[in-house]
Amino acid sequence: MNLRFYLELLKKYDFSFFGISAAIFIIGVFNLYSATHASTTSLSTAGLYKVQIVKFLIGVGLGFIVSLIRPKNFFRFSYLSYFVVCFLLALVLVLGQKGMGAQRWLIFGPFRIQPSEIAKLGAIFVFARWYARSKLDNEIGLKKLIMPSILALIPTALIVAEPDLGTGIMILLVFFSMTFYCGLKWKTIGIIAVIGLLCGGAMYEFGLKEYQKKRITAFLNPGKDARGSGYNAIQSKIAIGSGKFIGKGFMKSSQASLNYLPENHTDFVFSIFNEEHGFVGSLILLSLYLILLYRYLWLASAVPRVFDSIVVIGIMSLFFWHTLINMGMVMGLMPIVGLPLPFMSYGGSSLLTFCLCNGVATSISNSRNLF
Amino acid sequence: MFNEEEAVKKFKFRTDFIGNVILFSFFIILARLWYLQIYQGERFYKFSLENRLRKEVIKAPRGMIFGRDNELLINNAPRFDVAIIPQYLKERKQTLEKLSAILEVPVKNITRTLKKNRGQASYRPIVIKKNISLREVAIIETENYKLPGVRVQTFISREYQDGEVGAHLLGYISEINQKQLPKYKKRDNYNYKLGDFIGQAGIEEKFDLLLRGDDGYEFVEVDARGRKRNVKSNLLFAGIKNKKSKPGNNIRLTIDRDMQIQAYKSLEGKVGSVVSVDIQTGEVLAMVSRPSFDPESFSRGIKADYWKSLINDSRNPLIDRTIQEHYNPGSTFKTITAIAALEEKLVKAEQEFLCGGTFRLGRRVYHDWKRNGHGWTNVYKALKRSVDVYFYKIGTQLDIDVLAKYARMFGLGSKTGISLSREIPGLIPTREWKKKRFGEAWQAGETLSCVIGQSYVLATPLQLAMSYAAIANEGKLMKPLLIKEIFSNDGDIIETFKPEMVSQATIKPRTLKAITKGLYQVVNEPRGTAYWARGKGLLMAGKTGTSQVKSMTKKELFSKCSEMPYESRHHALFVAFAPYDNPKVATVAAIEHGCSGSGAAAPVVRDVMTTYMNKHHPELVKKNMEIEKRNFLREKRKREERQRLEEKKKEQEQQQVEQLG
Repeated sequence: MNLRFYLELLKKYDFSFFGISAAIFIIGVFNLYSATHASTTSLSTAGLYKVQIVKFLIGVGLGFIVSLIRPKNFFRFSYLSYFVVCFLLALVLVLGQKGMGAQRWLIFGPFRIQPSEIAKLGAIFVFARWYARSKLDNEIGLKKLIMPSILALIPTALIVAEPDLGTGIMILLVFFSMTFYCGLKWKTIGIIAVIGLLCGGAMYEFGLKEYQKKRITAFLNPGKDARGSGYNAIQSKIAIGSGKFIGKGFMKSSQASLNYLPENHTDFVFSIFNEEHGFVGSLILLSLYLILLYRYLWLASAVPRVFDSIVVIGIMSLFFWHTLINMGMVMGLMPIVGLPLPFMSYGGSSLLTFCLCNGVATSISNSRNLF
Repeated sequence: MFNEEEAVKKFKFRTDFIGNVILFSFFIILARLWYLQIYQGERFYKFSLENRLRKEVIKAPRGMIFGRDNELLINNAPRFDVAIIPQYLKERKQTLEKLSAILEVPVKNITRTLKKNRGQASYRPIVIKKNISLREVAIIETENYKLPGVRVQTFISREYQDGEVGAHLLGYISEINQKQLPKYKKRDNYNYKLGDFIGQAGIEEKFDLLLRGDDGYEFVEVDARGRKRNVKSNLLFAGIKNKKSKPGNNIRLTIDRDMQIQAYKSLEGKVGSVVSVDIQTGEVLAMVSRPSFDPESFSRGIKADYWKSLINDSRNPLIDRTIQEHYNPGSTFKTITAIAALEEKLVKAEQEFLCGGTFRLGRRVYHDWKRNGHGWTNVYKALKRSVDVYFYKIGTQLDIDVLAKYARMFGLGSKTGISLSREIPGLIPTREWKKKRFGEAWQAGETLSCVIGQSYVLATPLQLAMSYAAIANEGKLMKPLLIKEIFSNDGDIIETFKPEMVSQATIKPRTLKAITKGLYQVVNEPRGTAYWARGKGLLMAGKTGTSQVKSMTKKELFSKCSEMPYESRHHALFVAFAPYDNPKVATVAAIEHGCSGSGAAAPVVRDVMTTYMNKHHPELVKKNMEIEKRNFLREKRKREERQRLEEKKKEQEQQQVEQLG
C-alpha cells in the first residue's frame, strides 16, 4: 500500500517549484563564480560557489522531505512551530547577550541556524491558520486585525532586537500581504498608511536629534560604512548601467574585479549579473522570477483549502518582497537594506528557507491531486 | 467545517489584484533597467572602464590652542604625502621607477609597501612617503601625466609654536594604531580608520573629540588624464552629495606663555618640572617638565630613530613630571606637620624646644640635617631653618592618621582632578593603608620619617603647588583649571570654565598666619634656607625640601651631595607663594637629583615668579621692593649696631687689659 502510494505520488509530483528555482540557482552559481573568482584581494571568497552548491543540495533535500508531509500537518502544528520559533528567537537574544557567539545564530554542534530565517515560515503558518479559522465572511477591519497583529509583532520585535531590521520588516510585509489577500478593507489600509506616515514622519522630524537620525541610518546598514553607502549605490548603478544591452560577458565584470562593490557575492549579485549579461540577461532572469511567482499565484487559487491557499500566498509574498527589495536597492530605487536575492545571493540560511518554502508549496500542490 | 471551496473562490479577486501588482513591479524594474542600461548605458560603460568617480575625504582642520592672553600655541600647517592608488596604477614598472627617482626612495621599498597593503580595496590610496617637500610636490603635480595612479595627498599637521616648551601639557597627535582602533571606536562611537590622527597625550588627547572637526568628503570626476573636475549634479548622480568639513573647536588655556617659556629656560640642563598656579582661581599658569620632546615630529609621522632615542633615554622624556611622577615632599611637608601640631594644640607658636643635632626614639638615633643642632627653636625658626629635631619632637605626639587628615585637607594623597590623563595620586600613609599594603601594624618610628616628608609620603609637584595655594588662600583648596574657554571657529563661545573649589580646610586663620610668617622668614630673613634665592620685589613665602632617593648611612648623610653618584643624589624641591601678604601665585619646582632645594629648585621658582609678578602685578613689585629696601636698611642698622656693640666690648676689654696692665 505504502509503496504504491509513493509511486503514485512520484507520478503526480509537482516539480515546477524546484525546477524553476533550480534554473535560477544555476544562473546564480555561475554568477557567483564570476563575482568571487574575479576578486583578487580576498582569497577567502574564491571557492564559495562550491559551498553554495552543497548548501543548495542540502536545502533541496530537506525541501523534498518537507514536500512529503501532508498539508494538514502544517495546519495542525502551526502554533507549535510558531512557539518554537519564538522561543528560539528569544534564546538567540539571551545567549547573544551572554556573548556566546553572534547574536543572529544558534549553534547546535556542527550546525549553525539562524532562527529569524525559520521564523518567516513559522509566521506564515500561524497567520494562515488564524485567518483560515476566523470567519472571513466580511472583509477585515481594524478590530479583526488586533490579534493577528500581536502574533506578527512578537517575532518581529524579537528579530529587530537582534538587531536585524531587514528580516523584521520582511515579516511585517509578508503579514500585510497575507492579510490583504484575506480581504483587508481598503479603508483600513488607508488608515494604517496615514497613521504610519504621520507617526514615522513626526518621530523622524521632531523626536530625533541629528545624531540619532544618523544612528538610524547606520542601524539600517549594520556592518557597513554608513557614510559610504551612497558611494556603493553609485558603484552598483555604474555596474548595472555599464552592462548595456547584451552585457560585457561572463567573468568580464570590471566593477567586481576591482572590488568596487562590497559584498558583491551577497547583496550585490544582481549588479554583477547585469554588468556581465546586460538587459537581455536580466530579461531572462526576471522572466524566471515572474514564472515562479505566477506559479505560486496560480496554486493559491487552485487549491481547495483556505489554509493552504493563504500559506501559498505567504510564501509567494516572501519571494516577491525579497526580489523586489534587493533589485530596487541595487538599482538605486530604495535605500540599502541587506536582503538577499532568492537563489542568487550567497548564503546558506536564506537558501534553506526558500527551499523549505518550495517544499511546502510542492506538498500543497501534490495534495490537490492525491488526497 | 464551513464551505472551503466557496471561501477560496472569494479570494479570487485579490489574487488577480496581486498578480497585477507583481506585473507592475516587474515593469518598473524593467523600466529602470532600460533607463540604466540602454538610455544611460554608454555613459555608465565609459565610467566603468575608467572608474572616473572618486570620493575624496576632506580633512577637517583641527582646533587651535591658545594661551591665556590669546597667544597662539598650536597652529595647523599643511603637510603633503605621496600615495599610490593601485587601481589606477598603470605601466607599473615605468611609473614606479619615475616615482622612485623623484622621491629618492628605492623601487624595492615602494613595491614592499604596496605588497603589505595588498589586502585592502584597490581604490584606497596607499601612502608611499610621508611629508614630502614642496619641491617634490611640485614635480609630482607637473609630471602627473606620466605618473598614473600617483597622487599627492594634503594633510594638515600640527605646528607647535614653542617647540618643546610644555610639550607634555599640550601633548601630541599621531596616527591611531591597531590596538587603539577597536577600543576607541567603541568609546567614542566614531568610525575611526587607520591613518586617522588622534590626540595621544596632554590637552590634545583629553579634548580630542572637541578639537577634531568633522571630516567632509567630495566626489570628483576624473578625466582620462587624471585631472579632476567637480561632479555636477545631474540625474545620473542623484543622491550624491558632497559634505563640507567642519573645523574643530579652539581652546583657550589658562597657561601664560611667558611664564611657560621662562620655566622651560630655568630648567635648562635639569631633570625636573615646574608648576605655577593662580591662588584665587586655581588656574594653571605654567606647567613644564623636562627633558621634553618635539611634539611636531609625532604629527609629521615620527622617525624611527627619534622615537628610539626617546624610548631609550633613561631620563624618560615622555613622562610628564608634573603629574605622572611623585616624590617624597621632604621638608616642604613640614608645613603640613606644623599646621597639624598647631591645630591639635600640641605646641604653641612661640613655644621653644632645645634642638640638638640628634633625636633618640627607643634605640634609634635620628639626625638633624645640621650636625650641631639649632639651639632653642619655635615654630617660625623650625620652618625658617627647617629644623628636623623640632618636628621629630612633634612626631612623637602626633598620630599618623591625624597627620593624614590634615594632609588630605590640602589635597595631598588624591588626584587633583586636572583635566589631563594619567595623573597619579601620590600617597599619604595611614595605619589602615599600611595594614592593607604590607599586612603590618604602624611603627612609631615611621611617623618620625613621615613628619619630615620622607619614607611613604609621596606627592606630585602639582599637588604641592595646589596645597601651598590653599594655605595662601585661607584653606580653600581649588581644582587646577587648565581651560579658560572653548570656542568655535566662528568665534562663538561653546563653553567657559569657572574656578571650582574642591574643599575648604578647617584651619584657624591664626594658624595659617603663623605658618605664613614662618614661610616668609624662610625666604626673606638671613639664615632662612632660601634667603639666597629671594629675588627682587617678590616677598615670597615658601619652603625648601630635599627628598632622599635612598636611605643613607650617617657618613653619607653628611657627605657632600654633589660628590655622590648622580643616581643617589637628593631630589631638590621648592614651593612658594607670593607676595606673602597678598598672595597671587603659587609655584613649585622639583629638580631630580638637584641636591638642595635652596640651590637647585628655589632659583627656578624665583625666576618664574618674577616673570609673573612683573607682567601681571608691577605695582606690587614696586611696593615690595620698597619694603625690601626698608627691611634691608633695618637689617643693616641692626648689623651696624651689633658691630658697634662688639667694638665697644672689644674697647672695654682692651681698656680692662690696659688697666690691668
